[in-house]
Amino acid sequence: MKTLHKYWKTAALTAAGQAGDHPLFLLDYLLRLLRVGVLLGLWRVLLEGRQTGVELTLAQLLTYTLVAEIFRDQLACRTQLQQALWEGSVGNYFLRPMSVFGQFAARLGGEWLFNLAFFSLPLALAAPLLGVEPLPAGGGAALLFPLSLGLAVAVGLALELFFGALVVYLEHNIYNAYRLRDALTALLSGALIPLELLPWDLGPLLAWLPFAATASAPLRIYVGSGEPWPLLLLQAFWAAATWLLALWFWRLNRERLVTHGG
Amino acid sequence: MNAPAPPGTSASDIAVDARGLCKCFYQRQRSEKLSEVFANLLRPRVRLVEALRQVDLQVRRGEIVAYAGPNGAGKSTTVKLLCGILAPDAGRVRVLGLDPIADRVRYVGRIGVVFGQRTELWWDHPVAASFEWKRVVWEIPRPRYERLLGRVRELLGLDEFFHSLTRELSLGQRMRADLGLALVHEPEILFLDEPTIGVDVLAKRHILEFIMQLNRERRVTVMLTSHDMDELEQLAGRIALIDRGRIAFDGDFDQLRRRFADRRRLRLQTRAGEAPVLQGAQLLGSEGGWHEYTFDAARTQIAGLLAQASARSEILDVETHRAPLDEVIADIYQQWRQ
Amino acid sequence: MGVRTCKKLLRLWGVYAYLDFMFMTRDLRFFLHCFFSDAVLNLAAVSGTFLLAERFAGLGGWSQPQVVFLLGYGMLVGGLINTFFGFNVLYISRRLGRGQLDHTLIQPQPLWLSLLTEGFTPISGSAILLPASGLLLWAGATLGLGSAARWWALFVLQALSSAAIALSFSFLWGSLAFWAPRAAEEISSSALRLVYQLKPFPLDGSGPLLMGGLLSLLPVGFVAWYPCRFLLGIALSPWDGAATPLAAFFFALLASWAFTRGKKHYERTGSSRYLSFGHRS
Repeated sequence: MKTLHKYWKTAALTAAGQAGDHPLFLLDYLLRLLRVGVLLGLWRVLLEGRQTGVELTLAQLLTYTLVAEIFRDQLACRTQLQQALWEGSVGNYFLRPMSVFGQFAARLGGEWLFNLAFFSLPLALAAPLLGVEPLPAGGGAALLFPLSLGLAVAVGLALELFFGALVVYLEHNIYNAYRLRDALTALLSGALIPLELLPWDLGPLLAWLPFAATASAPLRIYVGSGEPWPLLLLQAFWAAATWLLALWFWRLNRERLVTHGG
Repeated sequence: MNAPAPPGTSASDIAVDARGLCKCFYQRQRSEKLSEVFANLLRPRVRLVEALRQVDLQVRRGEIVAYAGPNGAGKSTTVKLLCGILAPDAGRVRVLGLDPIADRVRYVGRIGVVFGQRTELWWDHPVAASFEWKRVVWEIPRPRYERLLGRVRELLGLDEFFHSLTRELSLGQRMRADLGLALVHEPEILFLDEPTIGVDVLAKRHILEFIMQLNRERRVTVMLTSHDMDELEQLAGRIALIDRGRIAFDGDFDQLRRRFADRRRLRLQTRAGEAPVLQGAQLLGSEGGWHEYTFDAARTQIAGLLAQASARSEILDVETHRAPLDEVIADIYQQWRQ
Repeated sequence: MGVRTCKKLLRLWGVYAYLDFMFMTRDLRFFLHCFFSDAVLNLAAVSGTFLLAERFAGLGGWSQPQVVFLLGYGMLVGGLINTFFGFNVLYISRRLGRGQLDHTLIQPQPLWLSLLTEGFTPISGSAILLPASGLLLWAGATLGLGSAARWWALFVLQALSSAAIALSFSFLWGSLAFWAPRAAEEISSSALRLVYQLKPFPLDGSGPLLMGGLLSLLPVGFVAWYPCRFLLGIALSPWDGAATPLAAFFFALLASWAFTRGKKHYERTGSSRYLSFGHRS
C-alpha cells in the first residue's frame, strides 16, 4: 500500500500541476476540439457517397477518429522522459526510492487523469452534437476495448522508454529524434488515418508492427472493423517483447542515461 | 535611510537615479490537494507581494555598490527594473540619464547584465560563437571587438575553454564566460545578479579581481547582488540592504557594523580543558584548548571578559578580531524577522 | 525601415545563419541525421493525405497531381516558416511561458527585429524545402503550370502570405502566454498542430460553416487550399488571388495588436517563471 501510495502521490501532484496558473489552459482543449471537429467534417466531405473499399464505413471512420482523439494521450504515450533527457535530469529519477519506469508512468498517469476529466469525457459526451456515434460496436467490443487499450498503453510506454534510451545511446539530437518519432508513429500507428485506408496493401503489412498495437488495434476493436482476438494476441506479444527490450536496453545503458547531460 | 550623493554632485555623475520605486506582484496560491484543484481554478486565491516599497537609490558613476537582503527582499526585482525588463508601478528610474523602458534599445547597448542563474551563452555552440554573435547584435566595430575580446580572454582566463561547447563547461567556467560576454561591448554600468553563485573559490577570486580592475581602469559602475558577504565587502565600498521591499540601510561596511552590532570574536587558550563561562559572551566552540566566543562590543567590554576569564581559568593566549560579516548580516536579518 | 536597420537585419541574418551552420556541421553524423530526419518527418506528415489520394484516385474533387501540388505547397510554407522562425520564435508561447523573453529584451535592438532574425536557421530549417520543391515541380510539370513569370510572382506572393498567416496565428494564440505563462506555454504548438494537420486536405464540398470557419477564425484554408485553388486555376474568381494576401495582412495586424498588448502587460508583471529548456539550444 505504501508503495502504491508513493506513485499515487506522484500522479496526483502531476495532475494538480496540469491546471497551471490560469483557466486559459482550457483554450488548449478548445483547439483540440476544433481540430477534431474539422477532421470529422473533412472525412465527411472526402468520403460521403463513396465506398471506403474496406470493412470500414463512414460512420465507423468517424467514430474511429473521435475515439482516437478522446484517448489520444493513451494511444501515444509521451512521458517526461524527453524533458528529463534534455535537462540532463534523468539521474535524479534514480535517487528516489521508486522504480524509474514507475515514476515516469505515475507522472504520465497524473497528466492523463486531468486530460481525461477535462477533455476526453466532455468530448465523448458531445459526440452526438458532432453527429458521431460514440459507443463501441457491441458488448464484446465494450468488454475487450479496455483490455486492448491497456495493452496499447503497455506497448506505447515500453516503446517510449526504449526510444529514449536509444536516443542517448546513439547520441542523437533529442529534439529532432522525438519529432521524427512522433511523425512516423502518427502514420504507422493508424491514429490519424486508419491503416485499412492505405493503398498498396500497406495496411495489413503495417498492422504487424508494434506501432499498430499502440493505436490501430484498440481503435479497430472499438469500432468493430477487425477480429478482436487476433489483434489482442498480437498486442500481448508486442507488450511482452517491447518491455523485455526496454528493460534490457535501459539496464545496458544505465550509466549513459544517468550521466547524460552532465 | 539612503546615502544620497554628496551636495554638488552633478547629474552627469549619477549613474543610477531611482526614486520612489514601487512594485507589486500577485502570486496565485494553490493547494497541493487534487480535490481542491477545481476550487482553485474557479476561485483563485491570490497573495499580494509588495516587492518594492518606495525605494530610493542613487549610485554615482564609478561606484561599486553591493545590494543585499534576505531571500525575497526585492533584490532581483530592483535589478530587473534597472535593466528595463520590468516597469515600476510607481516611481521613476533613470540610469545613465535614460529611461530603461522608454529608451530600451539605446539603453541596453550601454549596460551589461549577468544573471547568475541564467546564461546568455549559446548552449550547443563553442563559447567563441557566442562572442561572435554578441559582436554582431551589439554592433561592436571589429577592431574594438578584437581588442576587448583579447583583454577579456586574458583577464578572465577564457582561453582554456574558448572553443569548448557551453554545455560542457563547469559552472565557474560558464560564469566567467558570461561575465566576459557582458563586458565585451564596454558597458558603462554592470548589473550582476548573484554572479558567483555555485562558483569555486578560485574562479570567484578571478571574477572579483577582474571587476575591481575594470572599475579602477575604466570607472565602470557596478551594482551587484549576492549572499556572499565577504565577496561583497571585498568588492564594494558601499552596501545597500533591502528588507521586505524597503532600503533598510545604505552606507559603508564599517557603518553597517557599528549601526547594527559591533560583533567581535574572542579566542582564549586555557590550561584547563573546559571553557570558562563568560557573562556577556557566547561560546561558539572549543578545540585543543582553544575556546572561541562571540560578543557585542557595543554592550560588553573586552576587558571585562578577560577579567572574568582570568578569574576562572589560567589564560595562556588571547586573540580578538571582528566577527565575519556573514554573522553581522545574519544578526540583522534575525532582528528584522523579530 | 531605414538603411541602417536593413543593414542590421542582413547582418543579423548572417550571424544566425553562421550559428546554424556551425551547429549543423559540428559532426557529420549529426548533420546527416538532422537533415534527413527533418525531410523524412515532413514527408511523413503529408504522406497520409498522399496515400489517401492514391487510394481514392484523388480527394474532394482534386486529381492526384493537384493533391500533390497542394501537399508540396503546404510543405513549402512550413519550410519557409521553419527556415525563418526556428528556435521557438514560431512557437512563441514557449519563449514567453518559460520566461525567456528577458534574454531578447536585453539586446540593443527593437523586439520585432530580434524576433524576425533570431529564428533564422537556413541550414537546419530548410531540409523540407527540397522535398517540397520536388513535389511542386513534379505536380507543376504534370499540370503544365509555371510557364509564365507572372504565375511565379503570384506563387511567391501566395506562399509568403500563407506563411505569414500561419506565423500570425501562432503569435495570436501565443500572446496568451503573457498572461498565463504556465497554462499557455504550449498553446502555440496546439494552434500550429491544428494548422499543420489540417492544411493538406482539400476543402471543396465542405459546408458553409466548416469552410467559413477555416477561412476566418481558423485560417487553415489560407495556408494551402485556397491559394492552391487560385494557382491551379480552379478558383471561382480571379480576385481570389487577393484573398490570401489580404488575410495575411489582417492576421498580421491582429497578431501584432495581441502581442503588443501582451508585452505591455509583461512590462508590468514580468515573469515569475524561468526555464532554460529550449533557450538558444
